[in-house]
Amino acid sequence: MSFKTFKGGIHPGYFKSATEGKPTVPARPPSLVVIPMAQHIGAPCEPLVAAGDEVKMGQKIGDSKGFVSAPVHSSVSGKVVKIDSCNHPLGRPVQAVYIESDGQDTWHGDVQPRPDYEKLTAEEIKKIIREAGIVGMGGATFPTHVKLSPPPEKKIEYVLVNAAECEPYLTADHRAMLERPEDIVTGLRLVMKAVNAPRGFIGIEDNKPDAILAMTKAVAGDSSIVVATLHTKYPQGAEKQLIKVCTGREVPSGGLPMDVGCVVQNVGTCIAISDAVRFGKPLIERIVTITGSGIMEPKNMLVRVGTMITEVVEQCGGFRPNIRKLILGGPMMGLAQPGPDLPVIKGTSGILCLTDAEVELDEIRPCVKCAKCVDVCPVSIMPLFIGGSVEHGMYDKAEEFNAMDCIECGCCTYICPAKRPLVQWIRMAKGDIAARRRK
Amino acid sequence: MNKALNLQFSTSPHLHSQANVSTAMRDVIIALIPVSLVATYFFKLNVPFLIFVCIASAMLTEVIFRKIMRKPLSLHDGSAVLTGLLVALCFSAATPWWLAMVATFIGVGLAKELLGGLGWNRFNPALFGRVSVILLAPWITFLNNEFFHWRVSFPGIDTVTQATPLALLQMGLPLPNMGTFFFGYPGGGIAETSSFALLLGGAYLLYKKHISWHIPVSMLATVFVGVAVLGQNPFFHLISGGLLLGAFFMATDWVTSPITKKGQIVFGVCIGILVVIFRIILAPTEGVAFAILIMNAFVPAIDNATRRLKFGETRTPVPAQQGVPVQKTS
Repeated sequence: MSFKTFKGGIHPGYFKSATEGKPTVPARPPSLVVIPMAQHIGAPCEPLVAAGDEVKMGQKIGDSKGFVSAPVHSSVSGKVVKIDSCNHPLGRPVQAVYIESDGQDTWHGDVQPRPDYEKLTAEEIKKIIREAGIVGMGGATFPTHVKLSPPPEKKIEYVLVNAAECEPYLTADHRAMLERPEDIVTGLRLVMKAVNAPRGFIGIEDNKPDAILAMTKAVAGDSSIVVATLHTKYPQGAEKQLIKVCTGREVPSGGLPMDVGCVVQNVGTCIAISDAVRFGKPLIERIVTITGSGIMEPKNMLVRVGTMITEVVEQCGGFRPNIRKLILGGPMMGLAQPGPDLPVIKGTSGILCLTDAEVELDEIRPCVKCAKCVDVCPVSIMPLFIGGSVEHGMYDKAEEFNAMDCIECGCCTYICPAKRPLVQWIRMAKGDIAARRRK
Repeated sequence: MNKALNLQFSTSPHLHSQANVSTAMRDVIIALIPVSLVATYFFKLNVPFLIFVCIASAMLTEVIFRKIMRKPLSLHDGSAVLTGLLVALCFSAATPWWLAMVATFIGVGLAKELLGGLGWNRFNPALFGRVSVILLAPWITFLNNEFFHWRVSFPGIDTVTQATPLALLQMGLPLPNMGTFFFGYPGGGIAETSSFALLLGGAYLLYKKHISWHIPVSMLATVFVGVAVLGQNPFFHLISGGLLLGAFFMATDWVTSPITKKGQIVFGVCIGILVVIFRIILAPTEGVAFAILIMNAFVPAIDNATRRLKFGETRTPVPAQQGVPVQKTS
């Protein structure tokens, strides 16, 4: 089934060929894991263990009383070495539990399969998802159980699986669809049940025909789920754009998908939900694409949460000497890192290594009002005017130009012929506006 | 390990398109080569000479102004070269070099650099320069008298004396054959010699996506319909008097045209209406240049009036339900 496209967007190169044909390989079990207490948007967890404690694989080691939060679990069995701060992809060091593995990988007693999982009620499914520490694995890391708990007046009609993987370079979701299509569908069905939604969509960009085929096979015979073939265009996987394309509904400005009766889940999240509900496994590992011309052997790997990036990179032959940028996530929205001394967390979809030629920055020139940023903006705002306002410190003006509606996809900065850092300026404006609103 | 890696740290996006201002300017210059060649065929060396004078004075003006204002030089963005070329194409091949030089100086110096340089100019620099020397007629007469002895001309200048097709039409004289006129006819300005060459250049710009169809099409369609309604031959109007140069190369100037597609159509239609008024009611000279410059002044107003709805916004605002369903667990 083919679908119309959304307004705006860009067509960067795919850069996926290095890894899209490579099956996911499990990473070597780590000898030490560093598990940050904050791997999600919301309240950070408090450690439930202390230095010297013995922990089992899958044991909950951190939790929080806040509703918008997700617990964290040990990804190995072994001994807690220390509780200390560690580097975090978002830049600010966070508290983390350091666990030395005993190499046994003994599961914790709570990890029990549920053969009769189909009989679970919606509330039970949501509780399992919360306890398993599942968050949005596309990179946003919003706690999944919160997404699945809309206020009662909001009826959810559609659950959408975001399988667009519109970020260049990344192939983790693509591999997951080829290797575990049934689990994705199971996860989707569980979410549909949890929010009592009658219909499901799996939205895949048309540059992954094999994934479309695999998913179509996996949903065969189920008329409530539609595999949607989407136009390959960035940011096709942006939540609001995906909803618009699949359902024709437009999430109101400042609103959430639930306002138009939709819930969106990433491919990886669906697999995590399936694993958690059927096998009792909390979220302790994920598929990571390690790629870019700055790495020796690009790979898709199943990596335990808490594995140090250095260790993952080592298993891919190490960095090439000309690496200039290390990015966690994709090239359009990923976070550049000052160094590789930090752990893989639940939202780490990719480890992207770019080289000199790819990171070259041109000088910033005055805006020539070519309006290319306006043409590509998927939320139809005018980045050039916001950028101009911020450049001159006029943040209130930036608010008038709808800076708060920006989804930070980066299309404007990508396309700008004057090489102006538009989305970066908009982020500054958003930070300033949000700070003023809180006052 | 970090030090050895020498990593660059910046916020996303980490990918950038290849497009930049210099290549866009270069492509516009490429698009103007065909018409320059046709004009050179008719007027011989006079055309390259005038183009050379304009480009050189444009570059010199930019350097002088930037030096005085202590700004970094920006010749590499190619906008000075392009403006110089466009000024030259607006003139007839018999134009004395000092006149072209004054026009370029005013266009690049006053209309662009004094307003802050490329991106900050409100009016199309080339047209501003061209029109200025018309409005400064008494001063120009003085210049013409003073400089007459330094006039440079090459063989082939006599062809320039032919009346422009638009003037012929106005005077009710017989017009040249349409095909000749379309492919190459030595009357009027350098850029008026061949509509075909201009369309070729325009098509190239459209293909390269430096311009969109909205301004040229709305502008040309308005003129076509307008003159047809007023009882003149619309085809002759389309391919004469610099209308095509204006539609594809002047009105579409990034800096001085509206942002949104809707705004661009409004802009094109308004220019078209002004062109019709100038051509039918007023004198048949530089109607396109004046029309575009007048509408340049309205671009901010057009931008403001044609703001798009942002994603998730409706014309009749409904209160958006906001916020995350935060339930307190105690």
